[in-house]
Amino acid sequence: MLRFDSSGKPFIIIRDQDQKERLTGSEARKANILAAMTVANLMKTSIGPLGMDKILVDQDGEVTATNDGATILKNMQVENPIAKLLVELSQGQDDEIGDGTTSVVVLAGALLEESLSLLEKGIHPSKISEGYEKACDIAVKHLLKICDKIEFDKENCGSLVKAAKTSLGSKIVNQYTEKIAKISVEAVLAVADLERKDVRFDLIKLEGKTGGTLGDTELIDGIIIPKNFSHPQMPKQIKNAKIAILTCPFEPPKPKTGHKLDIDSVKKYKELLEIEQNYFKEMTDLVKKSGATLVLCQWGFDDEANHLLLQKKLPAVRWVSGTDIELIAIATGARIVPRFSELTEKKLGKAGMVIEKSIGTTDEKMIVIEKCSNTKTVTILVKGGNKMVVEEGKRSIHDALCVTRNLIKDNRIVYGGGAAEISCSVAVNKASKENTGVEQYSIRAFSQALLSVPIALASNSGLNSLEAVSEIQLKQMEKESSFLGIDCLSKGTNNMKEQYVFDTLRGKIQEFLLATQMAKMILKIDDIIRPTGQY
Amino acid sequence: MSHFTPTIVLLKEGTDSSQGKGHLLSNIDACVEIVNTLKTTLGPRGMDKLITNDRGKSTVTNDGATVMRLLDVVHPAVQTLVDIAMSQDSEVGDGTTSVVVFAGEILEQSRSFIKENVHPQTLIKAFRKACFKCRERIKEIAIESNVEDEKQWNSMLKKCASTAMNSKLIAGHKDAFSDMVVQAVRSLDPEFPEVDLIGIKKVGGGAMEESFLVNGVAFKKTFSYAGFEQQPKKFNEPKIALLNIELELKNEKENAEIRIKDPKEYQKIVEAEWELIYEKLEKIVESGANIVLSRLPIGDLATQYFADRDIFCAGRVEEGDMKRLSVITGKQIQSTTNGFTSEMVGKCELMEEKQIGSERYNIFTGFEKQGSSTIILRGGAEQFLAESERSLHDAIMVVHRAMLNSKVVAGGGAIEMELSQYLHEYAKTIYGKEQMLISAFAKALEIIPRQISQNAGFDSVDIMNKLRKGHFEKPKENIWMGVDIENEGVCNTMDSFVWEPSLMKLNMLSAATDAACLVLSVDETVKSPSLQENNKISMEGRK
Repeated sequence: MLRFDSSGKPFIIIRDQDQKERLTGSEARKANILAAMTVANLMKTSIGPLGMDKILVDQDGEVTATNDGATILKNMQVENPIAKLLVELSQGQDDEIGDGTTSVVVLAGALLEESLSLLEKGIHPSKISEGYEKACDIAVKHLLKICDKIEFDKENCGSLVKAAKTSLGSKIVNQYTEKIAKISVEAVLAVADLERKDVRFDLIKLEGKTGGTLGDTELIDGIIIPKNFSHPQMPKQIKNAKIAILTCPFEPPKPKTGHKLDIDSVKKYKELLEIEQNYFKEMTDLVKKSGATLVLCQWGFDDEANHLLLQKKLPAVRWVSGTDIELIAIATGARIVPRFSELTEKKLGKAGMVIEKSIGTTDEKMIVIEKCSNTKTVTILVKGGNKMVVEEGKRSIHDALCVTRNLIKDNRIVYGGGAAEISCSVAVNKASKENTGVEQYSIRAFSQALLSVPIALASNSGLNSLEAVSEIQLKQMEKESSFLGIDCLSKGTNNMKEQYVFDTLRGKIQEFLLATQMAKMILKIDDIIRPTGQY
Repeated sequence: MSHFTPTIVLLKEGTDSSQGKGHLLSNIDACVEIVNTLKTTLGPRGMDKLITNDRGKSTVTNDGATVMRLLDVVHPAVQTLVDIAMSQDSEVGDGTTSVVVFAGEILEQSRSFIKENVHPQTLIKAFRKACFKCRERIKEIAIESNVEDEKQWNSMLKKCASTAMNSKLIAGHKDAFSDMVVQAVRSLDPEFPEVDLIGIKKVGGGAMEESFLVNGVAFKKTFSYAGFEQQPKKFNEPKIALLNIELELKNEKENAEIRIKDPKEYQKIVEAEWELIYEKLEKIVESGANIVLSRLPIGDLATQYFADRDIFCAGRVEEGDMKRLSVITGKQIQSTTNGFTSEMVGKCELMEEKQIGSERYNIFTGFEKQGSSTIILRGGAEQFLAESERSLHDAIMVVHRAMLNSKVVAGGGAIEMELSQYLHEYAKTIYGKEQMLISAFAKALEIIPRQISQNAGFDSVDIMNKLRKGHFEKPKENIWMGVDIENEGVCNTMDSFVWEPSLMKLNMLSAATDAACLVLSVDETVKSPSLQENNKISMEGRK
């Protein structure tokens, strides 16, 4: 962007001016909208139970195969600033809700696509934004009107399983939805505080292992640590274990300050040796005296100590990670002890069963701590044919966990299969007719954009997308029922209530709000200044 | 070769110097150029800029000062405009775009005079006079709101806040936000209000609507060691110890070495070290505190020690948050445990760890006195949050200013039109060149309403005609006539609650006039070659 003054002399106003370019007005808006649409179109094929997966290869050659919107976008390493905004949008939905990460991007893309023709009509972008805002308000109110409640309690969680199944429908695990959905719900219920409607996710551990199939995934009522006992001859199974958790190594203590020990005689040397030997004896004695039957240590053992522990029949595990230690401490009610001298019986944790198990055909071993006294921690052990599948399996289960959590927080739902979107679209369209003025156009555009998700859903399912959607639209209007959606799996009915396909109300509202917010933000930009060479 | 004149090298080779009228005009051109970039952000229908720097970091903003800073201006004359935007930002917080646009327009107006050989100093003198007159006029007509009446006072502050947010991304939720901003500012100590004591925390995910105000202090869960999860996360009437102590088992002095002669002494040294930290921890526990916060890290040993005694702790708490807690509890931050007693422990009603989006937050509420509050901002993307934070900051500054100086004027170009009208009238009463120059200044003032309506896509000529007619025909009744954004026309903006603190306009006038005068008074720029260019020249010279 070279500039000249009135006498024709060039001047430099901003640093590296010749290496910067500038887009303004409608040119800038179009470039932004195009970038957003490109991202949205990329994501469209991943929507729905028959949506496809994407393979992403990162700089280090690491391969990820996934269908999760947030993960795809995160791993794509986009550079365009507008596309980056969409990545964050999807991330935001992931952080807050954990589901609907693809739909939110598709919706934002559609809103911008619709605004393109409005801009061509000469409508001021802030007028469009205002219209979108109003329309979004109408849609959210409509959602609150059509939402349904599902009932469940600790024993009767069938409806939760069904919701988890919907979320798993589009994922790689869909062969085993029933089982995995059940596992997810059980895991959440195990840690949920139904009264406070709070679910602490850090109490659910997701552990992956290659080998076996996804169907072999299991829920363990307790914790798995990927370690083995410090000595091969230690017992592999401990019943009614009393666990001591230590954060000090089985080694002679060392002062943190630099030190030097002067040994100038044989006598001193022998003394030193004796003292060191005593340390080990003292340590193991203290542990034994406290009544512990299992020692978990964050640090390493000296060989000497290891041998002594074996002699005293004290099974031990070394190099347990800090997060595992914490989880075990919470689950077993143990206190973490920083010094041997502070170990007492009160500080021990209790677990019904601790077993070392080998998993798969490989030599890898794991220690399973079951029946902990405060069983509020569970582990889901995900298995699968290869690492990619395991990773994707973990992500899918995470989504299912999120859905279950959201339902516990708020048990209101709306019907899936595009039913909610179509219903909102009809409502918004109706409202647009009551509005005089320019906003009418943008409200109608919003109602059109809402259809983008059902259309993508239908086309991914191999249906004639427009036909299918307009048919549902008509049926919904005729019967005034909001639970008719796209029959993606050809089950023979459009009634989503019967198919048990639903999304959480919170997730849907969030999706609408975030997509509208993003569209508004992008529409408000009319000037781009960037280094040349970037698209 | 009889007319050989020796060249005199006065300046370093490569120095760029230009001077005279041409140079002045060139400077004006450069300023106008940058103003053209900025002026589309003005007003409620102003647009945003997306600026990407060479490292790929992008910012979306509508804030004049931020745009100016990110543009990275190197042109010396234009730099003055950057400076006034910054000064407006730090002084008032809002109106940063207006000040630059107005300064640019003064220069634009003076261009024709410069071409006609009017001496720049004459221009400067007249502009200063006009500026002085305007400031007097503002002081005269600004409306004082009733500080005594709590309700009226509050609503006036809210209106100022929402006017500041009009042009921003968060305009859609300005009611909720202006409420929050006013509450936050009012929570400060009225004697020494410090805006720093209002924390703004950004949490990604979630919708704008979910933002909320915490009447107290909130901060993100800090990095924690094993054992943290065992600590209780909710306290009723907790006692809070604020520290600046590192609670870790570590060497007391760097580079120190202990010489041990007797192996039996070894254990003693080890124990001495443990005792050092245990002594600190015991003192803290003895004081009765059940929440321990420190600026410096709290290590795993201390975390577990506290967990064992059902005490909550957080290390590496940000300085700002510590300061806020210190102010609101009225207790000092302690940097030693020596003499640490229960008197140094602060109190509040409730402390709770809460999940907000994907983050966990420690929230402290229910303090005896006021003095600090925190706004938790939610939104879809990082840039979005960053821009919202800037907008909120502007609004906070405006409310803060309005509290100190309770006079307001009407925005939407109304005050500018009134001043313009006033100056035109005044110009007619004086003789000489100044008459024209003051009229030019009056004309420059019109840029604000003109740009506002232009940005909204209105017919600005039409609107300006209506405004001028209104202000000239009935100067008394139409004193607050400005641009009506809703209905594409003119209205009384005082009645439609577009209020701005008069201080902001006063500052804008003087800053813009100063900048314009500075640019006008320059007739030569001598620019030394940068180090790189210098090297290039000497390399070429050697060839």
